[in-house]
Amino acid sequence: MKISSFNYLIRQGFKGIWKNKMMTFASFCILLVSLIMVGFAILVSINLDKVIGNIEEKSEVVVVVKDDVSKDSISDLQTKIEDIPNVSDLRLYSRDEALKDMMDKMTEAQRDYFLKYVEDNPLPDVFRLKIKDIQKMNDTTAQIGTFEGVESVQSPTEFADILISFRRIFFIVAIAIVLALVLVSLIIISNTTRASVFARRKEINIMKYVGATNSFIRIPFFIEGMVVGLLASGCALLITKFAYEGVYNILTSDYKLFGVFGLNNIYSFDSMLLPVTVSYLVAGAFIGAIGTSISTGKHLKV
Amino acid sequence: MVEFRDVSVTYSSGVDALNKVNLKINDGDFAFVVGPSGAGKSTLIKLILKEIDASTGTVLVNGFNLRKLRRKKVPALRRTIGVVFQDFRLIPTMTVYENIAFVLRVIDAPAKYIRSRVPYVISLVGLSKKAKSYPTELSGGEQQRVALARALVNDPQLIIADEPTGNIDPELSYEIVELLKGINECGTTILMVTHEHDLVRYFGGRIININKGSIQFDEVIGGSNEN
Ligand SMILES: Nc1ncnc2c1ncn2[C@@H]1O[C@H](COP(=O)(O)OP(=O)(O)O)[C@@H](O)[C@H]1O
Ligand SMILES: [Mg+2]
Repeated sequence: MKISSFNYLIRQGFKGIWKNKMMTFASFCILLVSLIMVGFAILVSINLDKVIGNIEEKSEVVVVVKDDVSKDSISDLQTKIEDIPNVSDLRLYSRDEALKDMMDKMTEAQRDYFLKYVEDNPLPDVFRLKIKDIQKMNDTTAQIGTFEGVESVQSPTEFADILISFRRIFFIVAIAIVLALVLVSLIIISNTTRASVFARRKEINIMKYVGATNSFIRIPFFIEGMVVGLLASGCALLITKFAYEGVYNILTSDYKLFGVFGLNNIYSFDSMLLPVTVSYLVAGAFIGAIGTSISTGKHLKV
Repeated sequence: MVEFRDVSVTYSSGVDALNKVNLKINDGDFAFVVGPSGAGKSTLIKLILKEIDASTGTVLVNGFNLRKLRRKKVPALRRTIGVVFQDFRLIPTMTVYENIAFVLRVIDAPAKYIRSRVPYVISLVGLSKKAKSYPTELSGGEQQRVALARALVNDPQLIIADEPTGNIDPELSYEIVELLKGINECGTTILMVTHEHDLVRYFGGRIININKGSIQFDEVIGGSNEN
């Protein structure tokens, strides 16, 4: 194709946008909303994964051993727990060790007081361990609870549990909303193209008679769709950036509350800039082009 | 060259528009197609442009067998044909120059060629002074001359005109036919549909008369302008 023809097609594409201002604007808006929703869903999922991963890494399960269990039984118990596939970093924290650590933390006065009234070591032997897959944590702790000699199993905060079910629900809802919005975008863009085709029906009619190829007739509409798509991606990106950074600043501020839940550990927008930008632009251009081709296919039968 | 062999067309509505038509128009010919409204004249033209396909029979145009011609190759066929319609079909938002240049652009012609070719065909139809006018600023006869220049700009082998004088003043009709005759003398085949018998009688030449989908007669007659 000649450069002059290419320029011509680009100009025709932009003319179409201008001629069809209202419809084009509607396409732009719905696409903008869709992209922001898509971005929101992706960003929340990524960060949920990170926060959950973080909690998984930090949280230890404590298995308290009954008082009257012998040293041999304790090592039996240790092998049994070690054999569970979902357990890692198993460590025996003996009562002697625990007492020593406790004494070390006390002030002199506290220590004197303690030694005066407590004859026997009151602390239990415990195992500390980590859970590999936190989604199966409840099964694992329940299993450990059935072992002989186990007094109790203390699992970490249930916050991880809540996050995990939230992630599951969020994922389903997000996919449903995103799919619906993408569908609506496609319909509206294809209607915009239809209006554009209608506005140019005389030209198209002549083009067909003089032997313009189908692709030549379609290219301006594609350009129209792509430009709207890319514009919407650009704006969606900016809006997402500001919104995200607002939330990010709140969560990473000095309030301890968010830190406790590990929520301060989310990604910064800049660290996700490249993948987010690329997915926005690709999604915008893609939805624009597909929406356009739906109606050019139907209305440009030559 | 246009050749019809036993061509019939039945529209999906059940109307038999053409019935076993046999017809041959050689390169360089000038032929009038006449007949009453509904005779099948436009159907003939739609077949040549492959807007529709023959229900039975074979249509050959400029070396293309239209039955075998794939959809993708239709543009190649149409680039060998110039078309003129009764209603001009000019684009109102484009000047005379743009209306014509547009045709070359959409078939991907070089910009340099467009810049020299368009003024040339505009001069051929005598509208050089109106190149920058819009269609609404022109008379019917002038608009049809623009349409003629547009049909011509691509240097087609064949020009088909479906009642080109139907929407313009009778005295200006002669002008249009004169122009077509001039184009024909340079070697382009012309097929002109009309139901203006005065015009046909005046110019004479090959007359193909269609009625109810069949060719009634196909003869060469002398024109009254020649004596
Ligand atoms: N697209 C169509 N669908 C159904 N019938 C048609 C169509 N086009 C034309 N016809 C019918 O075919 C016959 C021939 O039409 P046409 O070729 O347009 O005649 P003419 O141009 O000689 O007036 C007419 O009876 C007309 O009603
Ligand atoms: Mg007709």
